[in-house]
Amino acid sequence: MIRPDIHPHDGILVAKNLVKVFGKRTVLDNVSLAIEEGKTTVIIGTSGCGKTVFMKHLIVLERPTEGQVFFRCNRIDDLRPRQLAGIRTQFGFCFQMGALFDSLTVFENIIFPIQQHRKITDYKALDELVKHKLALVGMDGYQNQYPASLSGGQKKRVSLARAIALDPTVIFYDEPTTGLDPVTSDVINELILKLKQELKVTSIVVTHDMKSAYKIADRIVMFYHGKIIADGNADHIRNHPNDLVQQFIEGRVSEADLAALKLGGTKYQTQFLPEDFK
Amino acid sequence: MILAFFNKWTQGINNLGRFSRFIFAASKCMIATSFQPKTYPLIWTQMNTIGVKSVPVVMATGAFVGMILAVQAYGQLAAMGLEERLGVLINIAVVKELGPVLAAVMLAGRVGGALTAELGTMNVTEQIAAVESMGTDPVKYLVAPRVLSCLLLTPALIVYADLLGILGGYFVSVIQFKINSGAYWDFSAMHVEFWDIGTGIFKGVFFGGAIAMISCYKGFTCREGAQGVGEACTEAFVGCFISILALNYVFAVTLDAIYKTFWPLRSLI
Repeated sequence: MIRPDIHPHDGILVAKNLVKVFGKRTVLDNVSLAIEEGKTTVIIGTSGCGKTVFMKHLIVLERPTEGQVFFRCNRIDDLRPRQLAGIRTQFGFCFQMGALFDSLTVFENIIFPIQQHRKITDYKALDELVKHKLALVGMDGYQNQYPASLSGGQKKRVSLARAIALDPTVIFYDEPTTGLDPVTSDVINELILKLKQELKVTSIVVTHDMKSAYKIADRIVMFYHGKIIADGNADHIRNHPNDLVQQFIEGRVSEADLAALKLGGTKYQTQFLPEDFK
Repeated sequence: MILAFFNKWTQGINNLGRFSRFIFAASKCMIATSFQPKTYPLIWTQMNTIGVKSVPVVMATGAFVGMILAVQAYGQLAAMGLEERLGVLINIAVVKELGPVLAAVMLAGRVGGALTAELGTMNVTEQIAAVESMGTDPVKYLVAPRVLSCLLLTPALIVYADLLGILGGYFVSVIQFKINSGAYWDFSAMHVEFWDIGTGIFKGVFFGGAIAMISCYKGFTCREGAQGVGEACTEAFVGCFISILALNYVFAVTLDAIYKTFWPLRSLI
């Protein structure tokens, strides 16, 4: 299922041979992936495996050390910020902690991208638009609240309303259910499904939450040490022969982690090499 | 050890390069922002935060500088019978050096610290990335209005510091030390030139620019976590303070040379 020979025509967003190096650390190691239009692609993997960095490359918040990113067959990773601005209006990004602007109200947060990219003439229509976007995420009535007075789940929902303010074609979700209780997590999952159905958007979700992944994913991609080790639908991942995949989806502690605990917990799993156990 | 020194040196050059690129980008955005009425509300908001709210602090600084100068200098001048010339010493020191420098230092503490903390927190909570992800240049949206406000309002704040410094010195000299008011003003008017006042205010533009650029840069590049923001604030204040003193030295030398070159020609004008 893993295809290193990706062509720009294969999907709405295509990453080809991406390499990202921070200092001496290779975070992405020759990653190629095509995101299919209208589908929800979920990227899973342990902390620090490079999934968020990969997603940030797709929206060019990070520039690759090597490789290319294509959006609708056009290369975007080498564009200047001004050229990227127009393309980014077709993307919505839902950050892990919401990233709402503290100094602005919920209403002002949602109109921010509209103010930046559209000429506003009818303020009554703008009120209606904000009301509609907030109603989609179940937050209508919170227009005058500041982010500080919202709960974690509410912040994520407002962040989602802001992400869809410009009617994007692709929505990115960075760990949308992290830090939320199971019920609120499920509300967010339902929202992602609802937005996919109602707005016909392409969704890319980075998560650790397998329950969420199985519920929302058309396709699941697993990263490990900056590489893709599994790629397929929920059933394919559930029955994947790779032990690393099984260990992750079952939330099972590895022998390396157990050994680290016995040694006094001085090393993390990702710092272990096979030779440590010989 | 040589390698460590070389690495540190290379890192220093890299940081300088990044800071220069930041200044270039911010200057470009600042020019663009000046001609876009849509961004004026952002500038007004920053002017209120940076300028209007700093007026009391800057005025207090100026007043105390003038008063302290009067107290310190009175004894020396009175011993030589020159106490009526106290105004010359106080007013030249206030308008030329102490007013601008101390007002700028107060601004570095009040405004610089706040700018770094605000932008640093926005950086670590991904708000700056959010601005960028929505197709808006964060330098244009966040930095340009702040730098413009600092550039425009630091000279205005220096005027306030000068004014209160002059009044503070006057009240201590005339009320506490019983110096003749008329003589105090006459000697001051005779020796304090428009050049002295003008150079002090002129320096304010550069002090304001340095405070805003350094503080915003430190906020934009701060490391993650509360410690990262704290370190960025400290580095920003130290950077601003050193820059103000270094710029003041450069201006002292340059402006003095200009004054000496053109002073003999003044009688011809």
